[in-house]
Amino acid sequence: MRKTANLFLLAFLLLAAMLGSSMVGVVHFSWDEMWTSPIFWRLRLPRIVLSVMVGASLSVCGAAYQSVFRNPLTDPYILGVSSGASLGAAVAIIAGLQYYLWGIGAFALVTALLTVLLIYRIASIGNRLHTTTLLLTGVCITFLITALISFLMVLHQDKMESIIFWTMGSFASASWLDVALLAPVALVGIAVVIYHSKDLNLLLAGSETAQSLGVEVEKVKKILLFFTTLMVAFAVSTCGVIGFVGLVVPHGIRLVTGADNRKVVPYSIFVGGLFLLICDTLSRTLLPPSELPVGSLTALVGAPLFIYLLYKNKKSL
Amino acid sequence: MIHTRNLSLSFGNKEILRNITLDIEEGGFYALLGANGCGKTTLLRCVAGLLEPSVGEVSLGREKRPLKAFSARELAQKISFVRQQASSDFEFSAFEIVLMGRNPYQRRMQNESQADKEIVERCMRQTNTFHLRNSKPHEMSGGELQRVMIARALAQSTPVMLLDEPTSNLDIAHQFEIMELLRDIREKEGKTILIVVHDLNLALQYCPQTILLHKGDIFQKGKTADVLTPENISTIFGVDAIRENGYLRFCHKDR
Repeated sequence: MRKTANLFLLAFLLLAAMLGSSMVGVVHFSWDEMWTSPIFWRLRLPRIVLSVMVGASLSVCGAAYQSVFRNPLTDPYILGVSSGASLGAAVAIIAGLQYYLWGIGAFALVTALLTVLLIYRIASIGNRLHTTTLLLTGVCITFLITALISFLMVLHQDKMESIIFWTMGSFASASWLDVALLAPVALVGIAVVIYHSKDLNLLLAGSETAQSLGVEVEKVKKILLFFTTLMVAFAVSTCGVIGFVGLVVPHGIRLVTGADNRKVVPYSIFVGGLFLLICDTLSRTLLPPSELPVGSLTALVGAPLFIYLLYKNKKSL
Repeated sequence: MIHTRNLSLSFGNKEILRNITLDIEEGGFYALLGANGCGKTTLLRCVAGLLEPSVGEVSLGREKRPLKAFSARELAQKISFVRQQASSDFEFSAFEIVLMGRNPYQRRMQNESQADKEIVERCMRQTNTFHLRNSKPHEMSGGELQRVMIARALAQSTPVMLLDEPTSNLDIAHQFEIMELLRDIREKEGKTILIVVHDLNLALQYCPQTILLHKGDIFQKGKTADVLTPENISTIFGVDAIRENGYLRFCHKDR
């Protein structure tokens, strides 16, 4: 039961990192001060919890997508969630909705889901989902929407900075509301992916092979895409577009554990959560009081780590 | 064992299979032959339940239960299918790949039992692949990978095995090896086997029964020796053939 032991170890590490991250920041806390401070309870803790949940969700979705689409380059945003959400956010920012509670988030969520729905409608042939068509449609619509956002920004240059900052992703405005919105979706979504992790392995062998080995391919694909899309859309609507995590964390895990999704998916929860927590903690502590964009820190911290793993594995081959 | 009734299939306006009625008998070893594009693979996929025919139906067993009435899991306990080309961009070891053949018998979230692993080991030994158990597909040769895929089909413990050109891309020695392996499996385990092949001599040597397809239609079916006559070969493949000592020799027409 090495897997269980490792998962416990990772869970423990994650908890320790959450506590450690709680104590540092613009205001440093001692252990005793922390538990009585409103900064901790109202600002820091929701932010920490949210970053862990988003990291876990994106990594699990990335792992699932890479198996469903049998393509190592797919990330959770491949089906247009990120562009759809950005369009909604841009419209909300231009309309001045950022001063309302969850104003941008609600807009981002709705447009993200509408975009994915549009892509599914275009790409489904009869009752079947053809994954290559789905990927291509996703890429194409993403370009279209990105162009729309650029036009919007040029027309509203005074809002350009806010829009760009939103698309780079940030946990600065994280609240318990965000946590409460994402938590149920993330928990259910992650459970659904874990439940189907053996099917994901078989899907990697190709849908025809999976079908002949007893997987209800079309049904499983639809269930997985439905729940992962919801997860990504909710995650993006709380914190903007944070790249790299969903693409690379599952690959990093695969380099260590092998391709079996019964390991990759559960490890993704903890490694993804831990990774994004570390990145966000760095983003708010490296250059106080200003914040570095967490979406770039993920690549800045993650890329060297990943390249190290690749290099180490190359030597062992 | 498998019955097709008036099976037709079209993609768009193109009719691929026309009115195919076929009875595959239990314990038979059938070759599905025909020129490129005659619908062999399509027919095999219909029989495997991977494609639904536009008209007609495929049914299984003595009670003639239609394939549509099976769940994917139930069907995977009855019919195994080996694709023409195994994907090799796949990071699982040979042992894990063969273990996937046990999927139709496992519950979700349940790990493989010791019994599953023993079955996998037996199937790998039978196909002479057990020494490859830790290899990844890209580390294996075409013949080795093909044998691993057959081992997976064996691990599925199905009464029916369907194979799409299991000997393509293999050198002559490995072609014999695969055909002998299949003959062995059929003799020892009484499985019903249906394969698509291109080499008519291999069919003549190993498969007692042949179904000859021509432009989406059954041209003739019966004993392989009776079906593969020089006249039929000339009509279907446009090639002159002579039978000598039970083997076929070919030469291109008009040369």
